[in-house]
Amino acid sequence: MLQLNFNQLWRYQDEFLHGMSLTLLLTLVATLAGLAIGLAGAAAAGSRFAALRLFVRSYVEVIRNTPALIQLFLIFFVLPYAGLRLPPVYAAAAALSIYMGAYASEIIRGGLASIPRSQIEAGQCLGLTRWQVFRHVILPPALRNIYPSITSQIVLLLLGTSLASQVSAPELFHAAAFVESRTFRSFEVYAVVCAIYFTLVLAFRLAFAGIGRIAFRWPTGR
Amino acid sequence: MALVEIRNVHKSFGEVEVLRGIDLAVEKGEIVTIIGRSGSGKSTLLRCINGLEQINGGEILVAGERVHSRSTDLRKLREHVGIVFQQFNLFPHMTVARNITLAPVLTGRVAKGDAARELALKVLAQVGLEEKIDAYPGQLSGGQQQRVAIARCLAMSPYLMLFDEVTSALDPELVGEVLKVMEDLATQGMTMILVTHEMNFARNVASKLVFMHAGMVHEEGRPADLFANPATPELANFISSVR
Amino acid sequence: MRGFTISDVLTMLAAVQWTATLVVLALAFGAPLALLLARMCTGRSRLARLLATGILQLVQGVPVLGLLMFFYFGMPVFLGIKVPALVSVGAAFTIFTAAFLGEIWRGGIQAVHVAQGEAAACLGLTRWQTFRHVIAPQAFRIALPATVGFLVQLIKNTSLASVVGFVELARAGQLASAATFQPLLSYACVAAIYFALCFPLTLWSRSLEDKLNGAR
Ligand SMILES: Nc1ncnc2c1ncn2[C@@H]1O[C@H](COP(=O)(O)OP(=O)(O)O)[C@@H](O)[C@H]1O
Ligand SMILES: [Mg+2]
Repeated sequence: MLQLNFNQLWRYQDEFLHGMSLTLLLTLVATLAGLAIGLAGAAAAGSRFAALRLFVRSYVEVIRNTPALIQLFLIFFVLPYAGLRLPPVYAAAAALSIYMGAYASEIIRGGLASIPRSQIEAGQCLGLTRWQVFRHVILPPALRNIYPSITSQIVLLLLGTSLASQVSAPELFHAAAFVESRTFRSFEVYAVVCAIYFTLVLAFRLAFAGIGRIAFRWPTGR
Repeated sequence: MALVEIRNVHKSFGEVEVLRGIDLAVEKGEIVTIIGRSGSGKSTLLRCINGLEQINGGEILVAGERVHSRSTDLRKLREHVGIVFQQFNLFPHMTVARNITLAPVLTGRVAKGDAARELALKVLAQVGLEEKIDAYPGQLSGGQQQRVAIARCLAMSPYLMLFDEVTSALDPELVGEVLKVMEDLATQGMTMILVTHEMNFARNVASKLVFMHAGMVHEEGRPADLFANPATPELANFISSVR
Repeated sequence: MRGFTISDVLTMLAAVQWTATLVVLALAFGAPLALLLARMCTGRSRLARLLATGILQLVQGVPVLGLLMFFYFGMPVFLGIKVPALVSVGAAFTIFTAAFLGEIWRGGIQAVHVAQGEAAACLGLTRWQTFRHVIAPQAFRIALPATVGFLVQLIKNTSLASVVGFVELARAGQLASAATFQPLLSYACVAAIYFALCFPLTLWSRSLEDKLNGAR
C-alpha cells in the first residue's frame, strides 16, 4: 500500500538548503577551474611541442573513458598516501574540476578549430596582429559555437556533483542520507532531492538560454 | 620603379608547382586584370602579393619592400594592401560599422566613437550603402556584403587593392552593382590587380590584361589588342570559351 | 591485512560480468523505450510530443544517483514487495538509457525529417512506410556515432550501482581496496579496466563520426 509521507521532511529544510548551497558551490568552482583547464588544454593541443600535445591528449582520453566516481576515489583515497590529505569538499572540487577540464578542452579545441581559415586570413589582411585576430575575429564566433556544448556540460557537471556525497562532502545527497537516517523516509527523501535537482537544472537551462540570446545576437547562416 | 614588381616567382604546393616563374610589373594607378582558366594559379599569385602564401623562388616587391623577406613587417604592409575575396569574408558577429572600423581603430588610424563612425559613413558612401551601417552581414544580400567588404578595405586607405573573383559568388543580377563600385575606384586612380571572369570589365576598364596559363604569364598587353589579336591558341581558346 | 595480489585483479575481472549484465539489461529494455520516445517526440500528436519531451527532460534533469535511489527505495514502496538489487538498479539504468538514447535518436530523426519527409510524402508513401524506409535508415546513420558514444557514458555510469551495494566492477574495486589497504593499486586497476572497455568504443564512435562528416 502506498504510504507516502513528506510532512516529516519539512523540519529538515535547513539540511537540504545547506546541501544545495554546496552543490551549487561545487558546480561553480568546477566550472571556473574546468574552463581554465580547458582553455590551457585547447592551447596545448595546438602547441608545437609533441610531448605537450601527447600529454593533453592522454589526459582528455583517460578522464573521458573512466568513471568520475573512480577518479574521485583515486584523488580522495590515494593522495593521503602521497602526504596530501584533502578534506572531502576540496577533493571533490579537485576531481570535478579535472573532470570538467577534460570535456572543456575538447569542446574549446573544437570550437576554435571550427572558425574557417578564411576568417583568420581576412583579419590578417587588414593588418591585425595575431592577438587581435584571436580576440576579435576568432573568439566571439568560437564562443557562440562552444556555448551550447559547454552549457550542457555545466548541467551535467551540476548533476555530477552528486558524486561528492560518496566521499562525505556535505552536498545534497549527503544531506539526504542524513535526513533519511533520522526519518527512515528513504523514498520521499530522494524524491525531494530529485525534484530539487530538476528545478536547479531547469533554472540553469533557462538562464543559459537567456544569456545566450543576449550575448549572441548576430544572425547566422548566409 | 613600379609599385608592384614580381620577378621570376615560383610557388609549389607539395609536389605540384603552381607558379612557374611569374614576371609582372604594376605601375601606380594601373588597373591590371588577370584572366585564365580555373586552377591556373591566379588566386595563388594574388595571395603571394600580400604575403598570405610563402614563395619558393624569385621575389615580390611592393612599394620597394620585399614581401617575403624575413625583415619585412607583413602586418604593416597589409595595412596598405587591401584584398577582397570571392566569399566576402566579412566578420559575421560584427555590424557593418564594426567590420569597417575594426582595423582602423585597432591600428590607431582613427579614434573609437564618432570619428570611427564618420569614417564608416564615408567609405560606405563610396559603395552606396550608408543606410546599412548598423546591419549585420547575415542581413545583407551577397552584392551588398561584397560592397561592404570593399568599403572595409577602403577604410584603411590602401595604395593597392587586390580583387579575387569578387563577383563569382554572386547571383547574376547582383554582379552589376559591385562592378560599378570597382569602376568608380578605377576612375579615382586606385591601383588595382584583379582576377575576374567579367570580360567586359577586363576589356573596358583595365589598363593591362594578363592571361595566365599553366602557372605562367602566357600573354600580356593592352586589353583591346589581346582580345582582337590573341597571339597564342590558348588565349584564343579561352576567349571563345568565356564568351 | 593482506597484499594486493593477482587474485584481486581476477575478482575485478569477474565483476565485469555484472557491469556487462547491467549494460545489456539497460540496452535491452531501454532501447525500445528510447525508440518509442523518439518517435513520440517527432510524431504528429501534440499530447504524445508533450509527454515524451517531458519525460526526456525530467530524466535528464536528475542525477543518475537520484534515479538509482528513486528506484532502489521506490520500487518496494510502489510494488509493496522487496525486489532484488539487480531489478531496481536495472530499472534505473533502463530509464536512463531510454531518456538519453531517446534524445539522441530524436535528434537523428529530426535531422532527416525536415529534408526528406516532404519528398517522401510526394511519392505517396504512408507515414509508417516513410519512417521505415526513408527516415529510419538515414536517421540511424546520423545517430550512430552518438549512440556508440552513449555506450561509453552508460558503462561509466554503471559504476554508480556500487553505491547501493550492487557488486560490479567499481564495487569490486572498493572491496579490494578495503581488504588490502591498497587504494592506489585497486582503483588504478579498476580505472584501467574501465578504460579498456570504453576507449575502443570512443575510437569507434569517433571514426563513425569522421565517416559521416566525410560522406556529407
Ligand atoms: N593551399 C593549397 N594547397 C594545395 N594546393 C593548392 C592550394 N591552393 C591552391 N592549390 C592548387 O593550386 C592550383 C592553383 O590554384 P588557384 O591559384 O586557386 O587557381 P585559380 O585561382 O587560377 O583558379 C590548383 O591546382 C589548386 O588545386
Ligand atoms: Mg581562384
